[in-house]
Amino acid sequence: MTENVKFAIKNLDFFYGDFKALEDITLELNQCRVSALIGPSGCGKSTFLRCLNRMNDLIPATRVEGEILLDDQNIYSPSVDVVSLRRRVGMVFQKPNPFPKTIFDNVAYGLRVNGVKNKNLLRQRVEKSLKQAALWDEIKDRLNQSALGLSGGQQQRLCIARALAVEPEVLLMDEPASALDPIATQKIEDLIHELKNDFTIIIVTHNMQQAARVSDITAFFYMGRLIEAGDTETLFTRPGLQQTEDYITGRFG
Amino acid sequence: MERLHFHHELENLKITVLNMAAQTRDAFENAISAYVRRDSDLAQQVIDGDRHINQIEVDVDKRALRLLALEQPMARDLRMIIGNMKISNELERIADQAVNISERSLFLSQYPPLEETAAMDRLMETSRTMLKQAIACLRDLDAQAARAVRKMDDQADEHTLQVLKSLIELMVADAPAIDKRRDKTRRSIQTIIISRCLERVGDLSTNIGEHVAFIVEGINIKHQKIQEEDGEI
Repeated sequence: MTENVKFAIKNLDFFYGDFKALEDITLELNQCRVSALIGPSGCGKSTFLRCLNRMNDLIPATRVEGEILLDDQNIYSPSVDVVSLRRRVGMVFQKPNPFPKTIFDNVAYGLRVNGVKNKNLLRQRVEKSLKQAALWDEIKDRLNQSALGLSGGQQQRLCIARALAVEPEVLLMDEPASALDPIATQKIEDLIHELKNDFTIIIVTHNMQQAARVSDITAFFYMGRLIEAGDTETLFTRPGLQQTEDYITGRFG
Repeated sequence: MERLHFHHELENLKITVLNMAAQTRDAFENAISAYVRRDSDLAQQVIDGDRHINQIEVDVDKRALRLLALEQPMARDLRMIIGNMKISNELERIADQAVNISERSLFLSQYPPLEETAAMDRLMETSRTMLKQAIACLRDLDAQAARAVRKMDDQADEHTLQVLKSLIELMVADAPAIDKRRDKTRRSIQTIIISRCLERVGDLSTNIGEHVAFIVEGINIKHQKIQEEDGEI
């Protein structure tokens, strides 16, 4: 069975001013799969992730060369509306960042920004998103309380629910569990397994065991280059390149 | 992020398994010598020494389990731990075959020797060579040499069959008195059991070679036909 390619990245270079942070990245990310990006700090994996919904546009003096095709359309073409791109490609960050609003308003935020006013529809979508984020049962009786009162793990799942509420096609996750305890981490990992039925997920993680547990495809970055990408099980048991082997077995000096 | 402590522990595990391999090879060589030279003392020494080899296997399992649980090894490190656990298990079984041969030898040394069969000599030589080569490929982590071990397995099987045939011939051959026939049958059956042990050592050496190929290349060549693996089919 051939898989549908969601993102096709072709010869991507990325610059912070004169500094070339990504060099000649060519990679395909498949639909409804979890792809993990691994590599040491500064290797470019988070920069790459942020290229996928043009989050780097917010940083001055950055520049992109090459192509990133989302469903065959170049997301850097002038005709692309960045707001609608980010609705299609949602993002969850390392540190949970709920707004100082109620739980309900947090999840409904993106919908309201997109002009949804119908209260019934808002209620339905908030409930659906919180269920998808495996948070509904824990907070259904306190939707009008402040989101800041939730635990760190709950706040992160709330942020996932907030990202899901606008019904994105892709979810980018930048170290989504690094600030969480093992139980909350486990919940996020279980959630990723559930969500991949409906969404394309791309996750950056420093935790190689986490990449091995949650992803179908793993891509190893080093010094701004994509060293090796492939089936996760193969990459962690029988990597093709010595450099990958050295990194994942901790032989990197 | 070099994992110095973990890699030191892993190196120690490899050295322990190589030591175990050397002791197992000695036990097997001694068992063969005890059989050939009808040396009861040497046979008893092999039997008594088996406990030590068993203990090493337990130790390897314990240390490997700890590394798996605490260090979450990846790639070649992971294969090295799994492979060495399996290899120590094969070595322990080879040592058990050495004990089995020694026990038969203790019995046989009470009787006059049977007429020697050339097939038995060839079988002993083949199984000794297979074990030596399996241990050498483990020491050198040489996947090609590991494949060569299993190519000898057919020879070992063939020699075992020849031993069986010649000893059946011997058992059914006319003997002047019933008690002599009984003795000959007893000795023949004990010798057939020894030939089975030798053949098993060939099988277990083949397994060691397959585990080495897994460690080095990350592929499972078990149960694959040799020709398929060689790309001849």
